[in-house]
Amino acid sequence: MTESARKLRFAYMDHWRIDGPQGYVSQYSSVKLLDSFVKQIAALGFEGIETFDFHLGVLIDLFGSLANARTFLQERGIDRVVSLFHAVLFRNGVSQAHERQTHEGLFNHAHHIVKSADGLGVENLLVMPAGQYYDVEPVSDEKIRACADLWSRVGKMTLDYGIRTCCHHEFYCGIHHAEQIRKFYEWSDPRYVFWYCDTAQHVIAGVDPVDLYLKMHDRCGGFHLKDTHDVDRVGDYRQRPESEVTAKTTPRWFWEMGTAEGLVDFPALFAAMKEYRYEGWVSVEHDKADVGGSNYPASTAIAAWYIRNVLEKIYA
Amino acid sequence: MKEQHITSNGQIKWGYAFNQWRMGWQGFARVDDNVRALKVTSASGFRCIELNAGTGPWDPLGRPESIAQNFGSVRKFAAQLGDWGIDRIVSVFFDPGQMSFEEGHFGLKTTSSADHAVILAQASVHTRFLAEVGGEFLVVQPLPPYWKEGTLSKTSLETAAACMNQLGGMTRALGLKTVLHIDALSALRTAEEFDELLALCPDDLIGLALDTAELTIAGFDVVKLYRRYHARVQHFHFKDALAVDTPGEYRLPNAERAMILAGGSREIPRWFGELGSGLVDFKALAAAIKELRYEGWIIVESDKGPQPVASSVMLNSWYVQNVLLPILA
Repeated sequence: MTESARKLRFAYMDHWRIDGPQGYVSQYSSVKLLDSFVKQIAALGFEGIETFDFHLGVLIDLFGSLANARTFLQERGIDRVVSLFHAVLFRNGVSQAHERQTHEGLFNHAHHIVKSADGLGVENLLVMPAGQYYDVEPVSDEKIRACADLWSRVGKMTLDYGIRTCCHHEFYCGIHHAEQIRKFYEWSDPRYVFWYCDTAQHVIAGVDPVDLYLKMHDRCGGFHLKDTHDVDRVGDYRQRPESEVTAKTTPRWFWEMGTAEGLVDFPALFAAMKEYRYEGWVSVEHDKADVGGSNYPASTAIAAWYIRNVLEKIYA
Repeated sequence: MKEQHITSNGQIKWGYAFNQWRMGWQGFARVDDNVRALKVTSASGFRCIELNAGTGPWDPLGRPESIAQNFGSVRKFAAQLGDWGIDRIVSVFFDPGQMSFEEGHFGLKTTSSADHAVILAQASVHTRFLAEVGGEFLVVQPLPPYWKEGTLSKTSLETAAACMNQLGGMTRALGLKTVLHIDALSALRTAEEFDELLALCPDDLIGLALDTAELTIAGFDVVKLYRRYHARVQHFHFKDALAVDTPGEYRLPNAERAMILAGGSREIPRWFGELGSGLVDFKALAAAIKELRYEGWIIVESDKGPQPVASSVMLNSWYVQNVLLPILA
């Protein structure tokens, strides 16, 4: 491993599920299952994980405290929970980033999460910055400004806890087109709002993540490296209740890096990261890798293979 | 990515067996699936592999002619391995008792001299392949299962040893080595029979491959066994055992199915496990390996697990990196 390659540390965003004797279960079901999961991730060379904020309670249940949970991770080679995905249930009139009258509740929710996360070593709070497209449309400048104001306020608060607020644009998010994204980052405070580059989500939405990185590298707080074989050409982003799982055209949107049909230009992205001297955590995400009979462990290993054999050589 | 430190260039060389990926006759026949499995193995830190001597066109890596059909030629395949993160094929596991479409038999017996010519002819297919790809070992099952052979007689041991010695001569002529692998169902059941078999096989011709799980299931203490035979051991198969065959069901007719696959009268759901999950004292074995300055290969295996095979490889990798390598350092 060259010194330059070690400027990157890799984390794994955790959607992992397994078939066990009791059917399809989460690895958060028991310490034993979590032990198996963490060891598998660590064996491949990952040094961090990312997970959803709704797992905080489960981790406390399993280990007594988040500090104990982090010790458990570290004993197995995983340094920290690098990022928490803030799973907001966006609801009209109750919790919508584009509706200013709901901001207080959204702010308090985020505040509660970052206060509750102490002990895990969390560096980033990841959030979809607007609700589902069908709830936000027509997407106006005022709605984008409302979202930008909310997450600027939240981002200032989370930094007090040493945590950056990073926005993650699902292809069905109310802010997913290139122009919407440009405006959102122009109108949000660059000191407090960072961009999390989910490669597959941007490609599905018709946005080139490499081009976006070249334009917004100074706002980039990290990456979710995953691939896709499909671009949404028919407006699947409007599919209710959630386009990722119920779109009629595409049963599986997300793929691990390194498949022949993949549309994300990862080599170009890593060349750009090298050019702009990106250092720090880079995360691999496998979202719904088990659709169609595959499985999370194999997909994760293939992605790790791709990093070692293709991407690290470009970055080195 | 963090360094894995599982190397094949030190005193102890690490590899992974490729046998566990094969699911049924046709479930693993596509080249893409095999390449994917090689990448999973490589990503887990294992860059050298042991292949399984297979049969039929459904097993792309089972025989050199299958490799040629699927990859163009053996040499081209060997050259391509590096593209998938694999440095070398170290060995081929060969069980003469397994059926072969190509040689036209339902399983041969090394204890029957009438079978030796076909066994040698079949083995030569794999030894020539090994020599061509720069391999080192033919790992051979030297004896039939107990349920087919019964208690070993002096004559049957001598007959099997004669076959092994011929194999040893064949491999030596090609610059390879032959190592003997005893499994849980073998007709060889005692340390005394080990002694007798090894006494019949010159140590410059024949070595020993110790399979930690198979021998534990058969009731052996593998650490003691290693200490007893360390001078002959040139090869290990590392996998854990989750149960011991205390009822002696290796005697059951069709024990491969009745005991191993069906679990015997206790319906053992899984005999083999990932390193550290079962009955094998790997920490003590690693300490003995270090103490006795073992030089050779350790081939890690996954075998018949309920989890995705990738999970098994990754869990074994974690155990090697975090438990065994610190002991062996």
